[in-house]
Amino acid sequence: MTDRRTFMRGALGVGVAGAVLAGAPSGRATATPAPVADPVVAFHGAHQAGITTPQQRNATLVAFDVLAADRRELTGLVRTLTERARFLTSGGTPPEVGIGAPPTDSGVLGPTVPADGLTVTVGVGASLFDGRYGLADRKPAGLTPMRDFPNDHLDEARCHGDLSLQLCADNRDTVSHALRDIAKHTRGGMQVRWRIDGFVSPPRPSGTPRNLMGFKDGTSNLDVSDSALMDQLVWLPEGGSYQVIRIIRILAEFWDRVSILEQENMIGRRRDTGAPLDGDHELDVPNFAADPVGTSIPLTSHIRRANPRVPQTDGSRILRRPYNYDLGVDSVGDLDMGLVFVCYQRDLAAQFEAVQTRLADEPLVDYIQPVGGGYFLVLPGVRDVDDYFGQTLVG
Amino acid sequence: MTRPAWPSAARRALLAAIVLLPLAGCTSDPAPDASPSTAEVAPPAAESVMGIARSVCGTSWTGHGGDRTFLVKNTDTVTTDVELVDPGNGAVYAEVESLAPGTTRSLRVRLGHGAYALRCLPEGVNMLTGPTVRITDGPQDGTPAVLPVDDQDLTGAVGRYRKGVTAGLAVLSDDVAVLRRALHHGDRADARTAWLTAHLGYERLGAAYGTFDEFADRIDGLPDSLPGGVHDKDFSGFYRIEYGLWHGESPSSLAPVGDRLASDVAKLRHDFPEQRTDPMDLPLRAHEILEDTLQSQLTAAADQGSGTGLATAEANLDGTQAVLDAIAPVMRSRYAGWDQVGVWMGRARRLLKDARRPGGGWTPVASLKTIDRRRLDGTIGALLEELAPIAAIGETRRTS
Ligand code: HEM
Repeated sequence: MTDRRTFMRGALGVGVAGAVLAGAPSGRATATPAPVADPVVAFHGAHQAGITTPQQRNATLVAFDVLAADRRELTGLVRTLTERARFLTSGGTPPEVGIGAPPTDSGVLGPTVPADGLTVTVGVGASLFDGRYGLADRKPAGLTPMRDFPNDHLDEARCHGDLSLQLCADNRDTVSHALRDIAKHTRGGMQVRWRIDGFVSPPRPSGTPRNLMGFKDGTSNLDVSDSALMDQLVWLPEGGSYQVIRIIRILAEFWDRVSILEQENMIGRRRDTGAPLDGDHELDVPNFAADPVGTSIPLTSHIRRANPRVPQTDGSRILRRPYNYDLGVDSVGDLDMGLVFVCYQRDLAAQFEAVQTRLADEPLVDYIQPVGGGYFLVLPGVRDVDDYFGQTLVG
Repeated sequence: MTRPAWPSAARRALLAAIVLLPLAGCTSDPAPDASPSTAEVAPPAAESVMGIARSVCGTSWTGHGGDRTFLVKNTDTVTTDVELVDPGNGAVYAEVESLAPGTTRSLRVRLGHGAYALRCLPEGVNMLTGPTVRITDGPQDGTPAVLPVDDQDLTGAVGRYRKGVTAGLAVLSDDVAVLRRALHHGDRADARTAWLTAHLGYERLGAAYGTFDEFADRIDGLPDSLPGGVHDKDFSGFYRIEYGLWHGESPSSLAPVGDRLASDVAKLRHDFPEQRTDPMDLPLRAHEILEDTLQSQLTAAADQGSGTGLATAEANLDGTQAVLDAIAPVMRSRYAGWDQVGVWMGRARRLLKDARRPGGGWTPVASLKTIDRRRLDGTIGALLEELAPIAAIGETRRTS
């Protein structure tokens, strides 16, 4: 955890210790039981957490339809969302409601809720800017509904949404607790439209974690510590970013019947080490210029199409933050697994769509099927205790 | 949980032996931060253990506002309830129920400005109240106190509710008679109309989770739990008739099921005056009727072919309203969210009305537009969140 937004908090032994909170004076810290490290990712800031902060092991991506009756209720909804996110990402003891109501918290994480590195990232979809809330004239020009690309197999029930929520944490129960809490507190204001859960594998055996095709995924990505690069390719001037979610099924059985040579040529990297096919080590940089006809790395390979590494395509680079998913079985008994492809950028058309267009008809398409997802505008960060998600938008 | 307030003579002899140790104190903490946002995320300070005299409930605790955890130990041989109350009116801030002898449990509360006292209610013994502690520092508002509800408070509500059910049962038995005749007569359209009227009459009674005992299963049982499903010989009642009328069975072949239904309804009507209504059931039912609607009707799981789940949902709203009307005098002053219940009831009602077909028919749940269905589910969900506290407040407690 090297990101400066992330720090360890002395958390609780038996519910008796104090905690040092983001921005709070440290007067309440007590020494009693040996504190267990509880990672906290700061909630307040110019940007929302969950984009350039270190990727946690577990995630849930959820799209909602907003039910709020009018603009005033919509404002109430985003305020509630802010309060819940602030509490859940900081951790703490839920308030005691007394005898007049069921407990406010599910208790899934124990009597004191740990932060557990939770991040709550909120985005809004183009459909929120229709006539319902008088927001049509505030719709950001770059926010469009997700396109149906060649080779897509989109299921309408798993596409789009008024609002997106990306919940990530180190442990599965924390993510599940957060969703349950937010759904309870926003009941009637929004309703789940679709949901997909994902995980990041541990390094096998080292380096970048692997996806369910068996390949290291994330080797070549934008450097999040380069803030100039983030301002250039990820952050909008107001502090937000465009989010793409694509639920992409991997036809695992079919893929497993493909020779290793063919697999590696489709990706453009070695499966075992993750090295580009013209290199020895995972972090070797592919040299496409030295291989103009694709002798070692085929011209149609995924990495070559996705990032040709020429000046003209530099501006289309994206920040990928994907998760693996493993959902069960389909009607013929094949495994339903794949990749929750998530990426962030300043410009949907010039970045994600440009990359996706270059990938059209790549050989890999026979083994993957995009089935759902959406485009969302991640709102600017919540700056302080008086601010709330989308204040400048709905306020 | 209610317990007899008075024990047998032998039990009463134990009275003097009760030693209750509410172990309370305060930490070395200064008055906790009054700002709600930081106080809310800080874990409460646990109290250190303090001594206490025999037969005195909660002496020697000192007052600082904010999040507090009292450690309460029962050193006696009799189980006891412990409450933190406002000594002025007996309203309860927090409680530990059924504290067994020898056990220690924590009682968590946020103390706001006001008066507090511990109250001990040992089983079979009169309650005793400890000294009053006044809190003047820390946050202004703490955990809200609620005036406890006892069986007596709900007596009027039970009477009003039973009167409504009795009238409803009379209507039901007339409507079932019409249905029965229609089945014998053999006209499908008439039978379907009569079935819907009678079924809604039953659903309006707000039967859920154990109301009407075994009659509920006979009259309105679903086939799911039967080994043979819809073809099980024990599948009977409204849903059996619905299944037949919407699956091509001739109405007259269903006449025996109608006869049995009529006789079950007659028996229920006959028995109802003797059936006891637990006062606590009413506040519980405030949310349980619609929990069942969400699970069985809005999922279409209960639909046997008529596609009238939304009509049932509307009848269940009526049933819920009847419960709310009955308990209103007890709840209105105790539940801050009472008006919100009305707001969401109104919304749910409007959505169901909008879902009605112009001719008066009903749209099957599964044929609703996705967004309309989601809106209905979300609205009933929100209503349920507002109704849930009623059950907690209405859990009857001893008041002497
Ligand atoms: C199931 C679907 C996908 C799989 C299994 C997959 C797999 C991979 C793998 C194994 C790599 C090489 C390792 C790395 O550099 O991270 C890679 C790189 C990459 N992929 Fe994908 N990918 C998928 C979908 C997509 C999509 C939808 C896009 C964007 C439209 C995309 C864009 C990229 C980019 C930009 C790179 C980095 C290329 C570079 O800079 O060298 N991928 N992907």
